[in-house]
This record gives sequence, structure tokens and C-alpha cells, in this order.
Amino acid sequence: MERIEKLLREQRLKNAQLNTRRHFLKECALGIGGLALGSFLASCDNKSINKQHYLSDRSLNPMAPLPAPYLPKVKSVIYLHMVGAPSQLEMFDYKPELAKLHNQPCPSSLLDGKKFAFIRGVPNMLGPQAKFARAGESGNWISDYLPHFKKVIDEVAFLKAVHTDQFNHGPAQLLMQTGSSRFGRPSIGSWVTYGLGSENQNLPGFVVLTSGGTPDAGKSVWGSGFLPSIYQGVQCRSKGDPVLYLKDPDGVPRHLKKKVLESINAINYKEFLEFKDPEVLTRINQYEMAYRMQTAVPEVMNINNEPEAIKEMYGVEPGKESFANNCLLARKMVEEGVRFVQLYDWGWDSHGTNHSTAVDLGLKNKCREIDRPITALLLDLKQRGLLDETLIVWGGEFGRTPMQETREGRTHKYKGRDHHGDAFTMWLAGGGIKKGAVHGATDEIGYSGVEGRVSVYDIQATILHLLGFNHEEFTYNFQGRPFRLTDVEGQLINEILA
Amino acid sequence: MIGILSLSIILFFTLRPKEEIDYAIHVKPILNNHCIACHGGVKKNAGFSLLFQEEALGKTASGHPAIIPGDARNSPLIKRLHESDPELRMPYQKAALSKEEIKILTQWIDQGAKWGTHWAYQKPEKTTPPVVDQNYSDMEFIINPIDRFIAARLEEKNLLPNQQAKKEILARRVALDLTGLPPKKAIFNAFIDGQINYESLVDSLLSFDSFGEKWASWWLDLARYADSKGYEKDPQRSIWQYRDWVIKAFNKDLSFDQFTMDQLAGDLYSDPTADQLIATGFHRNTMNNDEGGTEDEEFRVVSVLDRVNTTFDVWQSTTMSCVQCHGHPYDPFKQKDYYQLMAFFNNSRDEDTPDEAPNFRTYSIENNKKIERILSWIKKHGTDESHDAFKKIIQFMEPKYQLHNCENFVNGELSDSKYLALWNNGTALLRDVHSKGNTSLYIYYETPHKNSKITLRENDSKGKILGKMELKKSDWKIARFSFAKVDKPIDLFIEAKNDDLSPQSSTSRILWFAFVPDLPGKGSDGYAEVADDLLEVMNTPQTMTPIMSENPDYMKRTTHVFDRGNWLMKKEIVAAGTPAVINRWEKNWPKNRLGLARWIVSSENPLTSRTLVNRVWDQIFGKGLVTTIEDLGSQSSPPTHPALLDWLSVEFVDSQKWRLKSLIKSIVMSGTYRQSSAVFDKKHRADPQNNFYARGPKFRLTAEQIRDQALFVSGLLSDKMYGPGVMPPQPDGVWEHAYLGNLWVESKGEDRFRRAIYTFLKRTSPYPSFMTFDTGSREVCLVKRTPTNTPLQALVTMNDPVYLEAALNFAKLYHQKLQPDNAIKAMYEAAIFKKINPDTFEILKQLYLAALIEYEQKPDQLDNFFGNKNMQEISLAALTLVANAIMNLDEFLTHA
Repeated sequence: MERIEKLLREQRLKNAQLNTRRHFLKECALGIGGLALGSFLASCDNKSINKQHYLSDRSLNPMAPLPAPYLPKVKSVIYLHMVGAPSQLEMFDYKPELAKLHNQPCPSSLLDGKKFAFIRGVPNMLGPQAKFARAGESGNWISDYLPHFKKVIDEVAFLKAVHTDQFNHGPAQLLMQTGSSRFGRPSIGSWVTYGLGSENQNLPGFVVLTSGGTPDAGKSVWGSGFLPSIYQGVQCRSKGDPVLYLKDPDGVPRHLKKKVLESINAINYKEFLEFKDPEVLTRINQYEMAYRMQTAVPEVMNINNEPEAIKEMYGVEPGKESFANNCLLARKMVEEGVRFVQLYDWGWDSHGTNHSTAVDLGLKNKCREIDRPITALLLDLKQRGLLDETLIVWGGEFGRTPMQETREGRTHKYKGRDHHGDAFTMWLAGGGIKKGAVHGATDEIGYSGVEGRVSVYDIQATILHLLGFNHEEFTYNFQGRPFRLTDVEGQLINEILA
Repeated sequence: MIGILSLSIILFFTLRPKEEIDYAIHVKPILNNHCIACHGGVKKNAGFSLLFQEEALGKTASGHPAIIPGDARNSPLIKRLHESDPELRMPYQKAALSKEEIKILTQWIDQGAKWGTHWAYQKPEKTTPPVVDQNYSDMEFIINPIDRFIAARLEEKNLLPNQQAKKEILARRVALDLTGLPPKKAIFNAFIDGQINYESLVDSLLSFDSFGEKWASWWLDLARYADSKGYEKDPQRSIWQYRDWVIKAFNKDLSFDQFTMDQLAGDLYSDPTADQLIATGFHRNTMNNDEGGTEDEEFRVVSVLDRVNTTFDVWQSTTMSCVQCHGHPYDPFKQKDYYQLMAFFNNSRDEDTPDEAPNFRTYSIENNKKIERILSWIKKHGTDESHDAFKKIIQFMEPKYQLHNCENFVNGELSDSKYLALWNNGTALLRDVHSKGNTSLYIYYETPHKNSKITLRENDSKGKILGKMELKKSDWKIARFSFAKVDKPIDLFIEAKNDDLSPQSSTSRILWFAFVPDLPGKGSDGYAEVADDLLEVMNTPQTMTPIMSENPDYMKRTTHVFDRGNWLMKKEIVAAGTPAVINRWEKNWPKNRLGLARWIVSSENPLTSRTLVNRVWDQIFGKGLVTTIEDLGSQSSPPTHPALLDWLSVEFVDSQKWRLKSLIKSIVMSGTYRQSSAVFDKKHRADPQNNFYARGPKFRLTAEQIRDQALFVSGLLSDKMYGPGVMPPQPDGVWEHAYLGNLWVESKGEDRFRRAIYTFLKRTSPYPSFMTFDTGSREVCLVKRTPTNTPLQALVTMNDPVYLEAALNFAKLYHQKLQPDNAIKAMYEAAIFKKINPDTFEILKQLYLAALIEYEQKPDQLDNFFGNKNMQEISLAALTLVANAIMNLDEFLTHA
């Protein structure tokens, strides 16, 4: 009986909503009438009928914000993915013992039964190429590749023993971002916007910013899989239209464009009155939103108006596509209520096949490119009081070997490391995160996790938890079964929760 | 036929004491909803699972059964439902079952706990269309038997159908549904004027080539067709001949059973035609991973698993992918079933190599003449057997040995994890090679060096020399060498030498070896010429299309169960077989893909025809008779019209002989389809989802339709068919690859305006405006696109240069000929296919005037207008804005 009552209750609520909507539209449309109709939905803002409700109706607006099922710690996420897999051994995971083994042949115990992407034959060990020191009150280790990061080291919680079972870029990126190494699943940003909608209806709820190139797995890493496509990430670009097709046609001034839009909506509204298809109302609303987005997106994507001090702090290069610009944009976006901002920075695949992929050369440059912006991002969010309601995640798709990469006994000219999924470092910062925490540890050479090992799914479960979801309950029915981001895996990482 | 009732309905009716409980209708939904998550195919808590009869009635971990048939009172299952201790009461830590539910389970056990089969696993039976109230006939609703089934449910619900849609609406609707395009003017007018009737209209539309182009979009989603390989660099793939095959198959109405068999097993027919080989491209649409460092065998296995999953997604509405790692959570499939199915697909020649072999080779006209000469030479000088062997070699060059299987490298490596690359004095071993006595060796290689020599020995460095090859400096090519006659399988020891090279540089890169009979007729006049022609032809195919080809017996792989789906964890060996629950295997079927195809199209298979008619219905009505069109299993939505589903399924096989055009025609001829789509308040309350069809279908057009329609009404659409994918304009930078640069080369001339189905589809970056309108990226089989309604869609149709060009052209068609008022009216009618009403006209007229005033005052804005430099005519610009508005109307973007 309880079920029936629940069903009835839901039904009554739905009807009430429908009636309110009908009433509201009637009021508004008739109130304004005719050709002055323009923007009639938005213009009802000040009237008695509340827009809040209107925007919260998912049948009209699938991005309407929804409350999280549990008390959330954060409202939004900025996820910084270093595409190509950064070397934990030059950045965060300090291994003095590995230095002692430098240039010695790798013991067969580490190689037996293991598969590597490129290493064939017996490689030599490769000592850390960076210098490490303790920093901050936490005294956590940090390398000299990241001099700025020291300032914020006490804000973050490190996961030193993350592991993945994928060691090729495409599948590993998919696993990290969609919970499956195969194509077809929704990305984490899609799940989150599906579950929570977005606070700002004039901007996409799930924004993707790339620097250097697209991840190996392509746009599927921000795809919506089997979720409706409105939840897929929207790439905001630094060159050309910030969002595809955002710009009005040449020769059409804004006020005339408004007139075009009003005409479309007015005719559509007449069609609604005649045939009563509620989907038409949704379309009217989407056109309104598109119009507002045309102003809101360029505004948020414009970093020129930021104070010099801020630009300096991040090290931005206006007009270019850079990770620094994207960090500043990410802050602006979460400030505006965007739910999920996903950054991809390309160029971390340090095989040592050339200068730019050498762990002692190119990697240093890559670190320089992210060090100041990330530090600035954390400080900037903090000074605005946003750090407590934002989650920042940093990592790659896997880690790198403590051995120098060799292919069939042929050594590279430069120092490089192969793909390695057994142990790598990620960190999280922001609301709900235990500041200065370190969870997990690797063995003396950073080859395997020896304590506090966490999987990709554990991290996903923890991100969802901080947003107010139980990852085991947050499902979507598809092909006759409930799917979830973490499939049948995932354990909350309590050790890094505040 | 069992009447299927949804769970919510079950909750409402009370069972009479003596009523027979039906497992499938009453019991299974309760178990699925409340129990099976912990006691099913994945988890079997306390050693108890409710998925199979033997497990449900067998002993649990406690040593006793949980269900005692005939004795509910003493069955632990029932006791645990009544427990007051929350630790013991089931479902554990969830809400208790309702009284009604417990009563059903209790009665079921008391009545003997009889097991039953889910409706979809029982063969559909011929049903008689129901008799309905005269009312429905009087309303001219009952046109064919479909309408009787629909009316019967309407009668139950006390609903009356809508009137027929107006002729002009109906004409546009049916043209879009059948051809993906609005009707052409001539046929539209003929229908409106009454020169042809509705049936003739339908027949004409079905006969247009555009029919195949429209319905192929649907099939290519299922086939995961794309023009790129997927993964990382996502390089181009040439498989458009398969796409063209699908279009042609639909247009010639190839019966669906044949259509199925050709795609799954065309290569296994005794003498397949080129078309039948190309049809097998269906399962070569799997992705191919060329990323450096990836192991080909791993991704070969991924493709094979995908073929199992896709076959079941496409033909059986069954989610087999669950069973890869564990038993099916809800449906009666065991993990072993999955790997028995895999065994059907595990013996094709493809191995995730960069050349995507095996490929069907299409040749130029000139080369085809040479091929004729070569084959007639072989017929004359050789045996029938060698003729067949050479025909295959010329067609698709199989079987061959891929050298990525080499091992024991010394001074050499598997370059880029793909090619055999030996350095000076390098060696490697290729195991288990059977040249079958063939004494010609064809190899595919490249080398930038002169004087690289390869020696082939039997078994090891001391072994007998079987062949010596001196490789000429060359780009990738096929070369021919002689090879010793060997009649048994051996290990092939490969040595390379080139003293000119610096250490660690490769003598060559070799992809494969193929052992081929000698060309017969040696010594006869003209032999050398034929031999040269053969090699030349082999090296200059015009088009290569990946196809399926089966391993010969001596190359067969064994198939294992993978522990938890992990391809490295091989368990027991399994033989090919199909799940017992679906339909029987006939003894005379071969145990290969051809047999599997026969099993699928057997009239005993309960899922194939239901799956197909349900999905065709979904294409036409926007939802299936079972709304979960991807799944007909026990978790699927109950059919809204079970009897109609079965009637259509049986009719499709028995009367329509698997002809899709007949099925589609019967649906669009129905009164159900022809109704007006107007929604009236009362009806909307009674049936918001239109599950009972008291109104006609209305939904948003697909991505392809929206673009094709814009080009169609503006007179830009090209009717050129077939060929490689084209690249219409897309924004700069969309295809920018990190190190390959921008690879989108905009097509020229009419190729810019081809139908959407011909647009190049790159998996990692599909055509962006299509994605906005819910197309997929075709990495895996997509059964259903979820239609959305988003602001980004508005941006596409308002601002995308493709749509601007269309709007401008649309306006040009009317601007010269007509006065503004008439132009506006004519444009509206040309786009929407109905007369403009005065209000709409007034709104568009006001827009026109506003634009006119704007440009009269500030004409310099036209220096660059809608992508056009130096637009001279103010009135054309104003009319273009009207065109842009019309092309954004809901009436334009949907089919009413």
C-alpha cells in the first residue's frame, strides 16, 4: 500500500506542476500578447508565477538543478586531467632508494609475469630526476619541478597508491573518466550533471577545456554514453566560437537576432495553443536559453577583464589556448555556477623518445606550465570562499615505471619511463577533503602500492560522495539493468575525507 | 498469448484464492524487483539464487532448500519475508514486500512453485485481430488489422482515436518516415489534388532510392558503422562499400532473413558473391587499435566479444555483455553460454592488424580485365582447386600469417607492436606455420634500405633453409619469393642480414607472410606476363573493404571461458553453441557463423522477428510496442499491445516473407498511423506518453533528417549516391589532432551537399551538429538514440553556416519570383507543407519589415552577410532572416 500511496502522491504532484505551468504560460502569454511577446518566458520573472519552479521542471529544462540525495560537501568539481600520464616519481612520490639503484638492471622479480606497453627485454632502473623536499606544515614531499605548489601543499590530500588495470592511454582514460575501459558509458561529468543539473542555466552545466590537444580516447571521455546527450560535456574553445555555433550570423545585429528568436517562439507558441504538445514549450525554453547563452558564454570565456594581479597570478596568455587560461576559466565557471569543469592538458607521455618526452627535460617544462596556474587556482578559489564548495581533482590515466624505458634492448637517447598502472599519485583538494593528508604508500622504488591502495572506482565513488551521492544507489536503467559509474566496484576513501 | 501486465497493475488486483499463479506474469517481476540483486546471476548470497529453477529449488548454503514446493509455510523464503528481526527479514535492509506480493509468492509455492518462461522466450503465436465496437469503423479508424488491436486497447481505456491528419500533414509525415525527406512537389501535389491515393503515395515513396538512404541510418547505428578505426589517432578506415551495400539491400528489399545471413556469414556460403562478402563488413565495423604499445591479440579479443554483444543487441534484444563476466543478473543465461557464442566468432582471420586484413579488394576496370586473363590462364593450366585458391587470393588474400605473432627476438623487435623489424643479424621465431606444400611465398613489407636479406629456416638457427629473400628498397608492397615444399606444420625461424646498417636499425618492416600455390603453366608461353600481372594487380587494389573470413582448419583457435571476463585468465575450453532457452539447434546446421545465422532466422527463434517489428514500429511511432527496444528480457517493459506485437511478428515471417517494405507499408497504411497528432487536454491526462495511440505520432526529426531537409527545401541537396564519406563544412579546429593537425578537408562541389548518411564519421570526433541532435559516435552498437531538446540544438539551426547557406539559398528561390508577401507565404508552405495562417504570416512579415528597415538604415551590415561578401539586395537579406526563422520552427524540426 505504501508504494501505491507514493505513486499517487507523485502523480498528484505532477498534475499540480502541469497545471501551474499551464496557468503560468497562459498568464504570461496573454499578458504580453502578440508580437511584443518576445522573451515572454524570462520576462515573467517579476510576476507572481515563479520562474524558479519553471526552471526546476525537468521536462522543460533537463539541466534544472536538483538537490543531491544526501548532504553534499561541494557544489561543483574542477577535474584536472594530465593527458598522457604524468610521472609520479618526478613530482610527488619521493623514492630515495630508487636513486641508489639508478642505472642498475631491473631485477627479474619485477618483470616476471608483467606486461608493459613498450618495455621489452631487461631495462635499467631510473632514479628520480627531480630533487625533493618537505614543504608546508604537513611536511609532505614535493619535487623542485613544482616550486609554486609548495604554497598550497597543505590544502591537498594525496593518494600515493592509486592503481588501474589499463596501461594504454585510450582505455585508461576511458576507465578514469567513464568507469569502463570500453566505449559507451557516460563520463563522470555527465553523471554529475544528470544527477544534479546545473546552477546556471545560461552556461553549459558540464564544460570541457583542453590545452595541447584532445585526449587519446577522443570526445568519448566527455560523452554522455547512454544518458541523454544534453548531459555530454560541452567543449568551450579558446579559438573560434567558444561554443560551436554560438556566434550570430554575420550581418545580423543582436536586436535583429532577438527579433528572429521572438518570431520563432511566437509562432511555436501558437502551435502549442493549437496542438497542445508540451514538447513545444520545452523548445521555446531551449531557444530562450540559447539566446542567453550567446551572451553568457563569451562573457565567462573572456579573461581580459580580469584584474592584472589575477592574470599575473595564473600566468595567463590571453588569446591563446593554455592550461593557465583554462585554470582561470575554471574558476570563473564554478563562480558562475557551472557544475562540472573538466580540464585536459596534453603532453605528459614521458617515454624519453625525444626532448619533450624526457623526464629530465620536457617533463620539467610541463610541470612549469601547470605549477603556477594550479597553485593560483587553489589560492584564488580560497580567497573567494569557493574552495570549500568546490572539489579539485588532479591526476592522469596511470603512472610511470621506475625503470627507464627500453624497447628490445634498444635504449632511448633520452631518459623516459613507460606506462605503469600499478601505482601512481593523484590528489584532491577542496570541500570535504582532509587537508594535508597522505593516503597510501608505494614500495621503496615506487613500483607497487604497499598500503592504502585505491582503485579508479574508489576515486569515482569518493567524488560522487562529496557531491552527495551514494555511488551504489546512483543508477540509470539501460538495457534492462541499472548501470552506475562504478559498475560493481568502488569503496569510499574515508582516509582523505575531513 | 499471455496477457502481460505491468507490476503496478499487479499491485492493484487481488487474486482469487483458487487462481493459478503464473510464474512469468506474477512471480518473476517480484523476484526481479526485490530479490535478484542479491540472489541472482551476479550475487548468490547465502548460496541462493532465483535465476534458474534448479538453483532456486536446490539446497542453499544452509544445506536446506529455501523453497519447498507445495509447502509455503515451511519454506524459508516465505518465513524470511515475515520475520520481525530486521537482520533476518528479507529483502535485507530494504522495505518489506507488500501483502499482495507475499500472497502471490505464498500461493505460487503452495501451488507447486512451477517455473515458467518469460514471454519473449516463447515463440510468438498467430493471433486473430480482435472485434471492436462499430464506432471505430464508423470513424474510419479501422483500415487494417493493426487498427483492430489498437482499437481494442482504446476501448478498454475508453479512448477514441483522433481524426485522420490533414492530407498535407500526412504526406509530409509519411515522406519523412519513408525517405527521410519531405515529399517532392510533383508527388505532393498529385496526392493533394487526388490524382493518386494514399496507397500509391506510399508505394512511390517506398520505391525511391531515398528510402534506402533513410533506413540505412537506423541500421548503421546498429552496425556501429564509421569511417575511422576508433582509439587514439583514430585513423581513417575504408568500409563505405558496406554502407552502400546496406542502402542497396534496403532499396531492393532483400528479405530480412537473407539480409541477416549475408551480414553474419556471407563469407561462409559455398561461392559467395562480391556483395555477400562485402555484407560481412557488418562485423568488421568493430574498432581497430593501432596505438603504439597495444597488443593486437588483446584488441582482437575485444572485437570478438563486441561481435557477440552486438549480434545479440541487434537480433535478439538481449544484453549478452553482462554475461561476459558473470551469469546474467536477470535473464536465464549462464557465463558459459557467452563463451559458447564467442566460439562462433573466434575463428575469423582478422587480428587487429594495421591493414585491417582481411580486406575485400575491388579493382579498376583495367585490372579486372587482367584478372579475367589470369584466372582463365589458371583454369586452363591448373586445377579447379587452384583456380578457387587464386580467386580468393585476388579477392581477399587469405589465409596468411600475421608476423605480430613472432617471438624470441634477438637483435630485433616488434616495431610499434605491429611489424616484424629485425636488425642486422636479427632473428625471430614464428610458431606453428603450415605452408600446406605451397611453394610461393608472398610477403608484405617496406624498407628504406638496399641489400636487406631474409633467410627462413625450419625450426631454429641450424634448421634447413626453406627460403631466401632479398628485399628491394620499397614502400609498402607485396613481393613474391619461392619457398621449399613443406607438408607439415613447423616453426619458422627468420634471420635478417644487412651489414651496411648501423646497430639497432631495422633491415625492414614486414607485416605478413602468405603461402600460395605456384602459378600453374610454368614453361608455357606467356607465363611470365601472367605472373607479373598477378603481382601488379595484387599491389594496386582500388578499394579495400574489411570483411570476415574464416580460419582454415589448421589455423583454428580454441575458445576458453574467461575468468571474470579477463582475456588473460583462460579457463575451460568450450565449443560453439547457443543458449538453450531461446530455440533449438538443428543438427544439419554447420557449427559456425552460418549455422548461428540460421539459428537466428529460424522460425523457431522467438526473439528475431519480435525484435525487428518492435524496432521498425519504434522508427515510425517514436517508441516500441515494448518501449525498451534494446531489451526484451525479463527486465523489459511489458508490451503495451502484446497481441499486436505477436501478430506483427508472425505476419512478418509468414505472410510478408521477411520483407521490410511490406512490414513498413502495413504500418504506415494503418488508421493508427494516419491520425492527427493533436494533443487534447483530456487525452493527454489519460495517456501522456501516447502509449495507447489515440493520436498520431509526432516527434523531432533525426539529425540526418534535419540537415537533409534544410538542404532539400533550399534546393541544395545533391542526389548523388554512394562512395567514400564526404566532408561538408564544419567549424575549424574540431578535428585538430594533437600531433596530426587538422585533417578535415572540406569537400568541393556537390559533395558539400550530399545526404547526411554520406558524411564522414570519425569516431573520436563525429560531425558536431549531428552529435548535437543525438547521433552517437558509433564505437559500439547503438539501439536507440535518446532524443533531446537542448539550447545547443537551437544554436545549430540558427547559426551553423550550413543552415545559413541553406536559408540564403532558400530565400533566393523566392526572392526574384515573388513579391515579399507572397514569397513569405510560399516559403512557409514549401517548408512546412501547409497553408500559412494569418497570425503566423503577420509575425514573419513583421520580422521581414524589421530586417528591411534595419538594412535600409545601415546597409554596410550587408558587406558580410550570412557568409556572403557584398550582399547587394536588402530585400533578399530580409527574406533570408525569414527563411532562417522558418527553418527553426517546431513544425519544421518535427514531423506532425
